[in-house]
Amino acid sequence: MAGTAATGAVCITGCSWRNSSRWEFLSNAQAETLAALADQIIPEDDFPSASQAGVVVYIDRQLMGPYRRHRGAYQGGIESADQISRKFCGVALAQARPTMRQEVVSALAERFREFFEMVREHTMEGYYGSPRHGGNRDAVSWRMLGLKEPPLRGRAHYDLSKGRGS
Amino acid sequence: MKRVFFHVALAAGILILCAAGAIGGATYYYTSQRGAGCAGCHEMADYVGAVHASSHRSVGCFDCHSTGWAAKLRHTAVHLSGRTPEAIRLRDVDVVEMTAKCQSCHQREYATWRAGPHSATYAQIFTNAQQNATRRLMDDCFRCHGMQFSGSIGDIVQPQSLNGPWRIVRAGLASEPTMPCQACHWIHREGLPVSKPVARFSVAGAADGESLAFFDRREQMHFAIAELPLPQIFDRARPVNVSPDQRQALCYQCHAPRQPDAESAAARNNWGAQAGSGDDRTPLGVHEGISCFTCHSGHGESTRASCATCHPVMSDCGLAVEKMDTTYANPASKHNIHWVKCQDCHTHGVPRSMHRGSEFVKPIQWNER
Amino acid sequence: MNRVNAVIVGAGAAGGIVAKQLAAAGLSVVLLERGPWYTPADCRKDDLRNQRTTVLGNAFGPEDLGFPRVVVDAGGVARIVRPSDSAYQNNAACVGGGTLSYGAQAWRYMPQDFRMKSVYGAPAGSSLEDWPIGYGDLEPFYDQAEYEIGVSGDYAPDPFHGPRKRRLPMPPLPANREWEILEPAARRLGLHPFAIPMLRNSVPYNDRGPCMRCRWCVGFACEVDAKNGSQNTVIPQALATGNCELRMRCTATEILMDERGHARGVEYINEDGRREQQLSDVVVVSACAIESARLLLNSKSRLFPNGLGNRYDQVGRHLQGHYYTGALGYFDHDTYDDVGPGASIALCDYNHGTPGLCGGGMLANEFIRLPIHMIDRLPPGTPRWGQGHKQAMREWHRRTIVVMGPTQQIPTAEARVTLDPAVRDKWGAPVARIQGNSHPHTFEIGAVQAKRAQAWLQEAGAIHTALMNSRPQMISAGQHQAGTCRMGNDPRASVVTPNCQLHDVENVFVIDGSVHVSNGGFNPALTIMAIAYYASAALVRGWKGTRYRS
Repeated sequence: MAGTAATGAVCITGCSWRNSSRWEFLSNAQAETLAALADQIIPEDDFPSASQAGVVVYIDRQLMGPYRRHRGAYQGGIESADQISRKFCGVALAQARPTMRQEVVSALAERFREFFEMVREHTMEGYYGSPRHGGNRDAVSWRMLGLKEPPLRGRAHYDLSKGRGS
Repeated sequence: MKRVFFHVALAAGILILCAAGAIGGATYYYTSQRGAGCAGCHEMADYVGAVHASSHRSVGCFDCHSTGWAAKLRHTAVHLSGRTPEAIRLRDVDVVEMTAKCQSCHQREYATWRAGPHSATYAQIFTNAQQNATRRLMDDCFRCHGMQFSGSIGDIVQPQSLNGPWRIVRAGLASEPTMPCQACHWIHREGLPVSKPVARFSVAGAADGESLAFFDRREQMHFAIAELPLPQIFDRARPVNVSPDQRQALCYQCHAPRQPDAESAAARNNWGAQAGSGDDRTPLGVHEGISCFTCHSGHGESTRASCATCHPVMSDCGLAVEKMDTTYANPASKHNIHWVKCQDCHTHGVPRSMHRGSEFVKPIQWNER
Repeated sequence: MNRVNAVIVGAGAAGGIVAKQLAAAGLSVVLLERGPWYTPADCRKDDLRNQRTTVLGNAFGPEDLGFPRVVVDAGGVARIVRPSDSAYQNNAACVGGGTLSYGAQAWRYMPQDFRMKSVYGAPAGSSLEDWPIGYGDLEPFYDQAEYEIGVSGDYAPDPFHGPRKRRLPMPPLPANREWEILEPAARRLGLHPFAIPMLRNSVPYNDRGPCMRCRWCVGFACEVDAKNGSQNTVIPQALATGNCELRMRCTATEILMDERGHARGVEYINEDGRREQQLSDVVVVSACAIESARLLLNSKSRLFPNGLGNRYDQVGRHLQGHYYTGALGYFDHDTYDDVGPGASIALCDYNHGTPGLCGGGMLANEFIRLPIHMIDRLPPGTPRWGQGHKQAMREWHRRTIVVMGPTQQIPTAEARVTLDPAVRDKWGAPVARIQGNSHPHTFEIGAVQAKRAQAWLQEAGAIHTALMNSRPQMISAGQHQAGTCRMGNDPRASVVTPNCQLHDVENVFVIDGSVHVSNGGFNPALTIMAIAYYASAALVRGWKGTRYRS
């Protein structure tokens, strides 16, 4: 029995090496670059930045689902972002100084417009969309806009047994 | 024939061996280091990380979550197939199972809750003839009752009509609570570690705010009370003085006022959410501005002993406050503790000497109501 | 399988009503629906996955895999699109069809909308035509829809509507803040604002309670069941007669014909993916404009080699929807009160009667404003990303009003649905190929409508405004799709008779938005419902025990 347990354990732990990233699709390095990029699109102020609100979680999860079709674009685009960054300041985007990051992202937006527009759209979705998909942590963006969440709606008091309710 | 039997037996044997291996492995894996093993599968890492930052960090995954072989097999199969759901959530049966686990440590709270109305079962809520004969069953019922139920309203109660008799479709849930611990408590919420105190009291106002959170059915997640809205409520055109006690935001999620109904005076005048228009019990009149928790305990809702915490047991008029009729169910009741006004008793005018505030009650703008 | 009196393809706005009317008249009915019976739990008010915002897919179908279409843009370039792509021109595929998740505006078309060619003349190059029936023919059936399905509202302040026999069964919902801002402004402009008629309970009606006024409406299923569609009215009634069987997850692939040119029934793929036949005396096609046309075109037989009812190449032509234009107004005070449904106020002053314009459209405030909708609706000049965008979201989300409306499209014969020669769906049937655009005059009307919306917002005190009138590169049909099986008296220029019967085949009916000759300047749901009641009445009148004789 101990043997089978050990086999089972090995069989289950064994799959961890397949992906040592803490993300479902992205590698740790890709996620860092994407976070740096998303944080230029929605930076931190009194309210969280894109990555602080879970936008990378959102995009990573969707790349396992409906956005499977964008996997190649993300892998290529993130690589391009890091290349631009290396050319500008010698390090990957996540390691670049904050002032440099904006320049890198502006250059990316110009040269890889399609990729940048896609990331912008997905970042906005993750930040302003429903929290259930991994972004908009605790509905923080909705509260930022002054929306009550969950909204309060009382129960209507009516009596259908008497025809029209009261 | 013998050959066929041999092959079937061999296949079955291998299957059993594999299953045993998987279960054994999973058991070993899950129980290791307070669930650190669970985190090894990257889809669980976030959840394990959260509980390790929570007030329940000293508790292992297995202390609360299902340990049955079926669960282990299911988890293993999902993990190996890579068909992890977008977000991993407890099913209704898991939540029910967890409630018993909560009890094992929080016995006193469990007992108070069990004895009070917040432990109402699926059968009590969804087959209530008085309710079902007058109002339509709908998915919105789940917002406050059975928020963790996995399905739609037709999956829990039939028939979907005003004519009963109604029956619970999933009989196994009939006697289970619709508002279990997790309706109002976020177990994985970030917090300092807590240890069990020697003596526990669940008196009014003593509720620990740390884990208080509302489980939102739409998002399938908790929202901590600090993030929940405290509503602005009107008594006709007058803004009601609502206590700033943030814990009440939890109560208001279900005991909420409504927008004015069509054809009401409030609707014609565009006044916002009206006190008492939905299920809210926002105090107006003498008790306006008092927090729900001043009188109610969250678990049991019991209030009988609480009048005496503010009032002399015998009032100036010679009424025993603990024995007064404080009927709340009927909004028209003169005894309704939430809406009783000075004039309800002092019908010929309130004595000047009584125009005073207290530490609980702010002076009230009297209106014509 | 037992032969029945009628097979109805599609359990949407029209199909549900036809099923109930036929079943109540004693006919045995099989109602085929390709989708399931969804509940609010299947969507849970998901901002990213509903029927309006579909970035993560359609909440109420069709699913993205297996059901593509081909669209052809203005440059003639064809591309394959999935159902959650806006170019797909989708309508929900489920019990209730679009009515489960629509916004539920309940408009009657105006009398002029049925006589567009007589009133205005057809612009050169257009296929504008009069309907063979008029407002008066439909009035009793509009009334029936308003009372049986349930409409709230008040037409009294609107002088432009056609004659009505009685008031709507329910009062309008109380005003929201946008109404308070827009109503006096419209009055100052000499216009006639009034509460939008809605297929929504404002008070308890039909055994269901009133709207709880939540933030989510169009695109979502209603958790309090206050939004009235065929799934919570006529379909349950049809099933309760005992004469109607609803078969879900069953996709009709072909109308079966006999050698004498009569339909024998319908072939469909059942929920297990098996091909089945349901024989019947009458076939009713209610699959929505694009899919109804596709089903007819896919029903090829010896007598009808180009598809059923398509002898004169008319099936699939005159595809229409609406061209939405309007304006955004930005205010220096809060305009948003989070009281749903956002859409509350409408004008019909601009539907007809503008010299030089062939029609017009209704203008109303927008339904819902979820944060996700605001991202590209910020004032012109706002940075598209970065701190400036985030700041602008905060600044404007609660201080914006959108006024827009469905401009009546001037149809063309070239805006059409055909079968794609190469692409097939998961059942092997050729998919719809959508091409062409509205007549250019449509965009002139739309531009004027946008200016009018802008003027209204300016009068209401908007400090900035922005026009929304970008010109689409292809027909915008979407949920308002109509016109592919035109109703008419001339078999060479139309597909169905004024009773919605195919000119060519006496026991096949098309009853849905397909038969609209023109599509009014209004959301079409109530008109589709009225036509369903009207055509069902004709069908029942002509029913002679075992078969239909006109």
